[in-house]
Amino acid sequence: MSADTELAPDPAVQPLSVDMRRLTRVGSRPGFLDYLVQLWDFRQFIFYDSRARVQSGTRRDRLGSAWLLLNPIFNGLTYYLIFGLLLHTSGGIKNFVGYLVIGIFTFQFSSGAITSGARSIRNNKSVVQAFNFPRAALPIGANMRELLAAVPLILAMLLITVVLPPAEKITWLWLLVVPAVLLQALFNLGVGLILARMISRINDVTHLIPFALRAWMYLSAIFYTYDRFVTHPQVLAIIKLNPLFNVIDIIRDCVLYAKVPQWQSWAILCAWALGTLAVGLVYFWKGEESYGRG
Amino acid sequence: MAAADQEIFIEGHPCVVVDGVQMRYRVASSESHSGDDEGRKRLWGRPLRKSNLVTVHALNELSLVVERGESVGIIGRNGSGKSTLMKIISGQSKPTNGAVYASSTPIMLGVNAALVQDLSGDQNVILGCLAMGMSRAEAEEKFESIVELSGLEKSIHLPMKSYSSGMASRLRFAIAAAVDPEILLVDEALNTGDAQFADRSKRRMDELRAQAGCVFLVSHSLDTIRDMCSRVVWLDKGDLIMDGDPTAAIAAYQEFTKELSAGNNISAAAILENAKAELVATEIRERSSRRVRG
Repeated sequence: MSADTELAPDPAVQPLSVDMRRLTRVGSRPGFLDYLVQLWDFRQFIFYDSRARVQSGTRRDRLGSAWLLLNPIFNGLTYYLIFGLLLHTSGGIKNFVGYLVIGIFTFQFSSGAITSGARSIRNNKSVVQAFNFPRAALPIGANMRELLAAVPLILAMLLITVVLPPAEKITWLWLLVVPAVLLQALFNLGVGLILARMISRINDVTHLIPFALRAWMYLSAIFYTYDRFVTHPQVLAIIKLNPLFNVIDIIRDCVLYAKVPQWQSWAILCAWALGTLAVGLVYFWKGEESYGRG
Repeated sequence: MAAADQEIFIEGHPCVVVDGVQMRYRVASSESHSGDDEGRKRLWGRPLRKSNLVTVHALNELSLVVERGESVGIIGRNGSGKSTLMKIISGQSKPTNGAVYASSTPIMLGVNAALVQDLSGDQNVILGCLAMGMSRAEAEEKFESIVELSGLEKSIHLPMKSYSSGMASRLRFAIAAAVDPEILLVDEALNTGDAQFADRSKRRMDELRAQAGCVFLVSHSLDTIRDMCSRVVWLDKGDLIMDGDPTAAIAAYQEFTKELSAGNNISAAAILENAKAELVATEIRERSSRRVRG
């Protein structure tokens, strides 16, 4: 440092010319395609994260993993008591138990996956701050976890429709449940990604999710049919664009009515699933640099 | 100053370039405005009124160029911006202005890298390794050495939430120390754990430092800084005070703190002013497109 006799409060400035060609900005957001490649590179992290948490989720309970099944069963019983026996919304529905069980189990998969996907960034802030990995790995891991947890749930759902009277026959159409649930999972992931970024910025959104999901459930024709309550054909058409209603409808067609689901249902579901996932990924990726903060 | 107008050319490729980084927070303060309305009005007004936001200048504009082989000690009082600077360099938080460029991803060894409370210690080890970008096989390979370094023995199979804070920070350190980073950031990591662990962790630190391209070290122990660092950066209240030779900087800092603890605020401030007046701040000029002059 050369002798500097200036008394000015501002420190002297020494320009340094630096070759930055081999340097990258720390924490910078990669391009979208690079981001997807990075996510693929972290697939083992995603798998391990989701598997470990499925096992640990119910470790504190005496009945352990049985709660993965007992939860929706009790839920189904509650709705059966209220809507089936007390309020008689079942009017005209053949095999109301099967109708109700499929609706509730399928909807619960979505509501669980959306909730945990939405909270995955906020709840894992410490992991986000400790390590540098593509942040979308967390919502994807949360959705993977919910999908794994949904497997026994769906098997139980099918078992109930076979065992409880009026027992349904198993047909090849039951295999169509698999693509329907996978499309549903993609849709859940898309919504989860969008909400995860919103919650990481404005935590208040967390409080709104249960209300939104509740309203969505009542709108998804789980314990009634649309045709009984909505008489206006145009309103009915709009209501039937609901992606979750379409999943439930497809599964009911396959399992209860042994008829091939309408192609319109598949088209609506595909559009929702792929569209939401694309929007969710891009929206989440845009906020990549902000998740470690505060 | 003549030199100030001349650019200095940094030969080769530096490890880390901190370019005009600045950090400000807006936080709610519980300090009430004077002349506030009392009683009822306040009770009703609070949720709607704009809360009492205060801007905290955690770090004022700062530029540093750190070359390969340098180890930089960062000293300063509590709240001087040391940890903020480390977080910015490691990419955990994004600066309000400016950016950090690095030749590879900096790895922070700290005690604040919290993990997943519900998972067991061994699951956290694997998860942490995968989150740092290792493959599953590499993680399994490192597993033994991480458990050994953490000294947790049988407790490694218990959930993280049953760990004492000392045990948890030992495990975090052991996981973070499993990679051999080119750019290593150490934030007071040596201050946790019992004497036995301190010894082991110091040995691992020495190994890492020997391998790393450059090291940043935050410690309140000036002896550690003197032993390990080739350059010292002194920060105070978010301002850069000194940047240079460790002996001179540590001597000035010690004199400053001595005056402060003796209650001589005026002479302490004078030391600060003198050091600041002699400081030559750096300004980064990028040379990526231009041809390199000899």
